[in-house]
Amino acid sequence: MKRPSLFTICLIILVGSWVFLKFVIGGLISVPIPGSVIAMYMGLIIIAILVHISVEDSLFREFRRPILETLVEDKRRPHRRVLVVLIPLLLLGYTYSIIAQRANPPGSPRDAHPSPPLELTYKDEVIGTMQDVVNPFRHYEKDDPEAFKAHVENGKRVYHQNCFYCHGDHLDGQGHFAPYLQPLPANFQDPGIIPNFQESFFFWRIAKGGPGLPAAGTPWDSAMPIWENTLTKDEIWDVILFLSDYTGYQFRTFGEAH
Amino acid sequence: MRIRTVALLFTLFGMLAALSLIYAQNAPEASEKGKQVYENSCAHCHGIEGRGDGSAAENLLPKPRDFTRGLYKIRSTETGQLPTDQDLFDIITEGMPGSSMPPWETALSANDRWEVVAYIKTFYDGFKEAETPPKQINLSGKVSYSEQSVETGKALYIELGCVECHGDVGRGDGTSAPDLTDEWGFQSWPANLTQSWNFRGGSDTEDIFKRFIGGLAGSAMPAFEGDSFPGFGLTAEESSRMIELDNKDEMTEAEEDESAQLYEKYDAAVDIALNLAEGTELSADEQKIYDDAMRVVYEKSWHLANYVKSLSPEKRPESAIGNNVLRSQYVGGELPPMDDAAWEILEASYFPLVGQVVIEPRQFNPTIDAVNVKSFYNDTEVAFLFTWDDRTHTTDETDEETGKTLEDALAVQFPVKVPQGPTAPKPYFLWGGRLPVYLWHWKASAPEQVTELTAKGINNAEVQEAQGALKSQGTYTDGQYKLWVKRALKTDDKKDLQLESGVFVPIAFSAWDGANGDVDTKRVMTSWYTFVLEPVPSSKRFIYPPLIALLSVGFLFGLRAFVLRRNSEETNN
Repeated sequence: MKRPSLFTICLIILVGSWVFLKFVIGGLISVPIPGSVIAMYMGLIIIAILVHISVEDSLFREFRRPILETLVEDKRRPHRRVLVVLIPLLLLGYTYSIIAQRANPPGSPRDAHPSPPLELTYKDEVIGTMQDVVNPFRHYEKDDPEAFKAHVENGKRVYHQNCFYCHGDHLDGQGHFAPYLQPLPANFQDPGIIPNFQESFFFWRIAKGGPGLPAAGTPWDSAMPIWENTLTKDEIWDVILFLSDYTGYQFRTFGEAH
Repeated sequence: MRIRTVALLFTLFGMLAALSLIYAQNAPEASEKGKQVYENSCAHCHGIEGRGDGSAAENLLPKPRDFTRGLYKIRSTETGQLPTDQDLFDIITEGMPGSSMPPWETALSANDRWEVVAYIKTFYDGFKEAETPPKQINLSGKVSYSEQSVETGKALYIELGCVECHGDVGRGDGTSAPDLTDEWGFQSWPANLTQSWNFRGGSDTEDIFKRFIGGLAGSAMPAFEGDSFPGFGLTAEESSRMIELDNKDEMTEAEEDESAQLYEKYDAAVDIALNLAEGTELSADEQKIYDDAMRVVYEKSWHLANYVKSLSPEKRPESAIGNNVLRSQYVGGELPPMDDAAWEILEASYFPLVGQVVIEPRQFNPTIDAVNVKSFYNDTEVAFLFTWDDRTHTTDETDEETGKTLEDALAVQFPVKVPQGPTAPKPYFLWGGRLPVYLWHWKASAPEQVTELTAKGINNAEVQEAQGALKSQGTYTDGQYKLWVKRALKTDDKKDLQLESGVFVPIAFSAWDGANGDVDTKRVMTSWYTFVLEPVPSSKRFIYPPLIALLSVGFLFGLRAFVLRRNSEETNN
């Protein structure tokens, strides 16, 4: 078989990379890649091709040979006829699609886990600094398993009377109200949630709810209630015990607990 | 090679069949594992002892099933029968749409789900005492979907009195709808048959057929047993003839005879059915009359199932999130009034409602599914058409507990000022907070009036001093509210939202169903969505693309000319 020309190889590389980025990586392997990122990669690939073909005069001549042939030689007349129709048509379609495109609303810049305040409070009462406060019932896990179980049970009750509508029976963020809330309720079965946060962080998020978030967390969108208005401090700590007990994930700790 | 593949396939099928046999058999005794899974995942609603009284049950409607009565709504079995194990397994796996029962397919392994099936059966002795397996509904005579079948089903829907609960067009708004209760005395709303995504037992025609033949045990939905069918024992033609004759003001002598004969045949068949129900042995002739009659009943029920199937869209509409925003369409002249056919060309944006569970008092059990919205605008005004289903038309009921007036209502919410840019703060989604919201508040008791409010919180709303910028019209027909609102794009009032083409505006909704106890904060609502006056497409789209195409042609020819000239120069040199 005849070796394809340098031009064809470059074309194959170009189209192949685009298909690979758009459909293989951005579809089969992972989530779709944004158009701007694909454009950046394609730019790099084009530069690489240009560098390659301009290294030597002979390479460049080999590269441009099929282009020149198509432009002038008689035997390529059918190709020319097709291209002189196809290229303008493609450009026509592309520019039309850009100009006639419907404008879409800007995406939300929401940070799902914004930085907490330095101090943890319940209503106006200061509990301590965010980094040092620990769950006051956590020690029962070792010291008094019976008492621990009672707290977890109470947390379970509180959860199912208040939280499961959105966060779900299985704590997977798929309660029956969840699909129609934006942002979606947190999924505690996600291995990236509980292990990445201290219990004090969860206390803060529960006690202050959506409206307690800093602006980066778009507090105006979240349907998470301000639970310090309805739950006692102990109930919040109990719910937190239940979350880790049910899912089997350990909250992040600092100091000797490492 | 081929033989090996076939052998492999056979082995696989064999293994699958064996597995399903193992699963399908009644577990002899519930295991410790079943109890453990039940207590971990089910007891918080269904109760430790299966009485449907778990800690979450208080706030739920429909109530979690009480397993101690052996009454199951979703079965593949005939009326009065227990469900099969597969029925119980399926309901656990798929959940019950429109209720708080979630699908457990991903959260519990198939094995765990079978263990739970075995365990919940221990709550009711009837399962143990049953000597024969429950009798399943025969699905073999399925009538395929056709216009004709739907028409027949529709006539039957009226004949059988489905209208009384499910309403004239099926929105669950029948006259007796508000008064229905289940076996336990709890409110039992009839299904809105136009929203098949909320059908508890699935929306396939077979599912609908099974619910109809078998009934929803424990709920207000009866099973339609054979002899309760109008024209039982008659063929389809005979039964429609009987109705036709019944409806005549005067009958000729021949017609009277004909009618009497039909009634005789009907009465005879009903007698046979009653005898059978009492356990009397039927003669061969009687058995044949009965079998024929039942065949007709089943066939009619398939028509009815096809009719019910026809009432809903193929699937639940996509909600208006992401780029699927509510786009108001530009029209040249006057905006169409409420009943104008122009509205039908627009596809409605679908805003699903959820219970307001953020601020006390909360609504845990919404009865309104969604608001559908369409919009047109012109150079000076914008018009909206809102529709939403509500089973009851409530204008002034008094809440027994609080003494407050309950009535149906809708509120449409915008920010007073549109946030500039994606990072700019919006008002709090629940009627604002630090930043105020601008509201249109409509109540069923004053259907021609929409009040403008400004709110800085769900309990902090004020009626605007300057009213009258809005024109509106509201109606309630067949279980559906329709509200038409028109406003100028720009107003003089600083507390009003000012609208401009091409600007994305946050929009949200609250709705109240008085019959469901909705009042004040107790309501259904949405979080923020987006609305835009869709700009008229730029006329540039007819100029630039052809221009660029022409230029490219010129470029190609120029390039060729250039190359040709250079080649000839090279040869000349």
